[in-house]
Amino acid sequence: MSNKTATTLLPEERKKGFREIHRCYEPHQAYLEASRCLMCEDAPCTKGCPAGVDIKAFIRKIRFHNLRGAIREIREANVLAGICGKVCPQELLCQKECSNTEIDIPINIAALQRYVADVELRRSVSPSARQFAQRIKVAIIGSGPAGLAVAANLAQKGYEVTIFEAEAKPGGLLTYGIPPHRLPSSAVQKEIRYIKRIGVKIRCKTKIMNIDELFKKDFKAIFIGVGLPGARKIGLPGENLKGVYTALEFLKDVITNKGRTKQTKIGKRVVVIGGGDVAMDAASCALRLGAQRVDLVCLEGYDEMPSSPEERRICWEEGVEINTRVMPLKIIGSKGRVTGYKGIGIRWRKPGLFIPSNAIPIPGTEFSLKVDTVIEAIGQIPDTGNVKGFKGIETAGPGYIVAKKKTFKTSRPGVFAAGDIVNRGATAVQAVADGNAAAEAIDAYLKRKR
Amino acid sequence: MKTIPVNLGIEFCGVKFNNPFILSAAPPTDDLDMLKRGLEMGWAGAVLKTTSVEKNKVELVYPMISGLSFENKKVVGMGNIDLISEHHIDLVEKRIEVLKKEFGDERVIAASIMGAKKEDWQHLVKRLKAAGVDIIECSFSCPQGSMGEVPGAMLAQSIPATEMVTRWVKSAAKKTPVVIKITPMVADIVAVANAVKKGGADAICASNTIPSLMGIDIENFIPNPNVAGKTTYSGLSGPAIKPITLKVISELSKTVGLPITGTGGAVNWIDALEFMLCGATTVQFCTAVMHYGYDIIEDLCEGLAFYMEEKGISRVKDLIGKSLPYIVGHDDLSRKNRVTSHIDLKKCVRCGLCYYACQDGGHQAIELGRERRPEVDEEKCFGCGLCQSACPIDDCIELKESEKPRKIATV
Ligand SMILES: Cc1cc2nc3c(=O)[nH]c(=O)nc-3n(C[C@H](O)[C@H](O)[C@H](O)COP(=O)(O)OP(=O)(O)OC[C@H]3O[C@@H](n4cnc5c(N)ncnc54)[C@H](O)[C@@H]3O)c2cc1C
Ligand SMILES: Cc1cc2nc3c(=O)[nH]c(=O)nc-3n(C[C@H](O)[C@H](O)[C@H](O)COP(=O)(O)O)c2cc1C
Ligand code: SF4
Ligand code: SF4
Repeated sequence: MSNKTATTLLPEERKKGFREIHRCYEPHQAYLEASRCLMCEDAPCTKGCPAGVDIKAFIRKIRFHNLRGAIREIREANVLAGICGKVCPQELLCQKECSNTEIDIPINIAALQRYVADVELRRSVSPSARQFAQRIKVAIIGSGPAGLAVAANLAQKGYEVTIFEAEAKPGGLLTYGIPPHRLPSSAVQKEIRYIKRIGVKIRCKTKIMNIDELFKKDFKAIFIGVGLPGARKIGLPGENLKGVYTALEFLKDVITNKGRTKQTKIGKRVVVIGGGDVAMDAASCALRLGAQRVDLVCLEGYDEMPSSPEERRICWEEGVEINTRVMPLKIIGSKGRVTGYKGIGIRWRKPGLFIPSNAIPIPGTEFSLKVDTVIEAIGQIPDTGNVKGFKGIETAGPGYIVAKKKTFKTSRPGVFAAGDIVNRGATAVQAVADGNAAAEAIDAYLKRKR
Repeated sequence: MKTIPVNLGIEFCGVKFNNPFILSAAPPTDDLDMLKRGLEMGWAGAVLKTTSVEKNKVELVYPMISGLSFENKKVVGMGNIDLISEHHIDLVEKRIEVLKKEFGDERVIAASIMGAKKEDWQHLVKRLKAAGVDIIECSFSCPQGSMGEVPGAMLAQSIPATEMVTRWVKSAAKKTPVVIKITPMVADIVAVANAVKKGGADAICASNTIPSLMGIDIENFIPNPNVAGKTTYSGLSGPAIKPITLKVISELSKTVGLPITGTGGAVNWIDALEFMLCGATTVQFCTAVMHYGYDIIEDLCEGLAFYMEEKGISRVKDLIGKSLPYIVGHDDLSRKNRVTSHIDLKKCVRCGLCYYACQDGGHQAIELGRERRPEVDEEKCFGCGLCQSACPIDDCIELKESEKPRKIATV
């Protein structure tokens, strides 16, 4: 008999395709989980949530049969309640200090959040009323979580908000980065529809290259949430061989072609370089596309990897070979195509610092793998094209935007920025949290101008 | 979704409440700062914990509270051997003045009293009135150390005393509404409530805690709470007593015709709504607040408001007593109702709890078939409903009307 109510699919079933790994709670499951919550007075979970969702209060609302109140509570702090419920690395955030850990296991906060959001979106409850229309135009560049959060907050305050998005669909990496078995695109689009109902306009396929033009079109403030669409490369010998891809191009290909690929081709043996969530996603997608062996190679040890423990566990369960503390040496090829990967074991020079320059190769530990495909997942960088067009805005490094803490003001008056382009790559919920703060700052700025 | 504007306001004994949820006479209303905090959070009113005249000595004992757990659930019920407040009328009247000044008509300030003789009762009433109290509640039902005519017995257990004391209080209170808090621990609660009515009270508070023995420490044989090696009977409150309260409220609503403020076992807005559907106008909370804090008021208001919006009911008034027509005597129930149990095998987890229940407590109508699949023999099934109560899955077992006659045992 199949396990009908458990919320996580078994690894064998998962690997067959892109079905969502975690299913939404049934009402009785949500109630059961909520009733485990201790409703701690000084709830440590809330302190761990970047967006400051009042977790104890929303769980209490589930428990006290006030589901609509629960979703109101969450959405006030995080407009992407359902999406974050699916993708937040909760073990590193809200769940980290859950008091219940000392009794048995922490509360599955993300699953509860997902549940309330799901119930709401199924019933299509209308968003709370907009405040008085302000007739002041604000432009948002980029429709990732940062842009969406700013837009929703400002629209709620009555501003006329337009999001400009370069891609065909809104959502940023939620739409083009995180694969469907973790975040189905229907879930993203549902929440975006909700934001549109607040009054946000979204213009897709509109890449903004010049912010002066936006000011000329009477936008009184501009928010930049362009994320990090570029993929970092290691610069390995053999990187230009056929069969070497960046994780971002591979994932985007899988997602836009609904579980198939057109631009990229996954062979029987795949190596994924990297130890973060993006690497995990690339590895689990490669398995789903029929790869027989997927080796993940990363500099860090198992407990040092930057990926969320949950994602790591999921990959491991599905059979990804995780090779830790190794450094790539080169990609081997023949006739222009990848045929192998060569790496070497490392140790750390200084303990606790997990960066390439701190790694010392251990002589004699060289090894090679026969592979058909290499996927590099070692980080994202700004789109250099963007940065040039954003005149008068201070940047750092390869083009990260410099913005003030808390207000997210850039060096140019009236222009604000947040999300990955400022924090150099964090999480969706962090982008929302910073977007919320930026929206407050934009509101204050526009009020002062009037 | 379409919604309608909802107003949670309600009138009780001519006094306006912003919502039907009140803090009952208990520890959460026995301290000025606590009261302020609770009222600020949105409780529509508070009944200040039962007070008495200055010369009445109140000597409390500790520990006084013991929780009733069931399996892993804490505070399914709560027992207390508290007494009335240690604070006498001199302090309570000051608190009322402060609260009235601070909250005006935004919050209802009621106070609970208890006296030993006529002069005490009437003296307390006069001082409360002078302090500006909105409603006077009389505790006729403190299970411990009552000051009624028989030591140890509750005042509301004597019908003549109930009527007499009510009359004393009402004659002194005049226009100020008088509410009598009675006990469910009587043979004929309708007779008690009628005595309250005859005595001239404006409303009934139904009903208080239930005298109980909270459990025993089997290592040393001393029951809870252990006060230096001895115990006494506790007053049981909380979720465990809700069904009793519902019965009392509905019975009194159907027969006596005085407004009711409900107390005993409400935790969430659904409980409170049930009190109201049985006829309560307002609902009082004590154990839930002591367990989860004043914060729950937010969920009570929001939950009820959302429910009313979705139901298309705009006034709380329209909910009161709505379930009463469906409560009748056993003789008036249909003898023709024939239902049988149907199991949704898609939801069933094959635990066999229904099988156990039906085998050893029902009519042996459920068998476990292939792959432990429970199967109901419709002819053997009486439709008693036991399996449905035992099944761990919501909506897995349904009782549906059946045409099939039932087989009666022949041996
Ligand atoms: C594979 C992968 C897995 C991840 N998994 C998780 C996870 O499990 N949990 C989690 O919390 N986070 C995860 N993240 C990180 C998370 O997705 C990002 O932190 C988040 O999306 C950043 O939001 P943002 O709004 O700053 O930028 P983005 O989401 O990157 O959005 C930026 C948008 O701006 C658009 N844009 C760029 N330039 C222009 C321009 N000039 N004009 C118009 N539009 C433009 C882009 O097309 C894009 O749509 C993951 C990231 C990746 C890549
Ligand atoms: C510790 C404690 C003290 C109480 N003291 C009083 C009191 O002084 N006067 C009174 O009328 N009721 C008193 N009660 C009863 C409560 O007001 C309330 O009617 C009862 O607990 C049932 O409601 P509940 O299930 O919401 O707790 C007390 C209850 C508790 C638990
Ligand atoms: S820390 Fe855990 S138990 Fe405490 S309120 Fe938060 S979720 Fe509940
Ligand atoms: S009690 Fe419910 S879940 Fe268990 S076997 Fe019976 S029908 Fe199935």
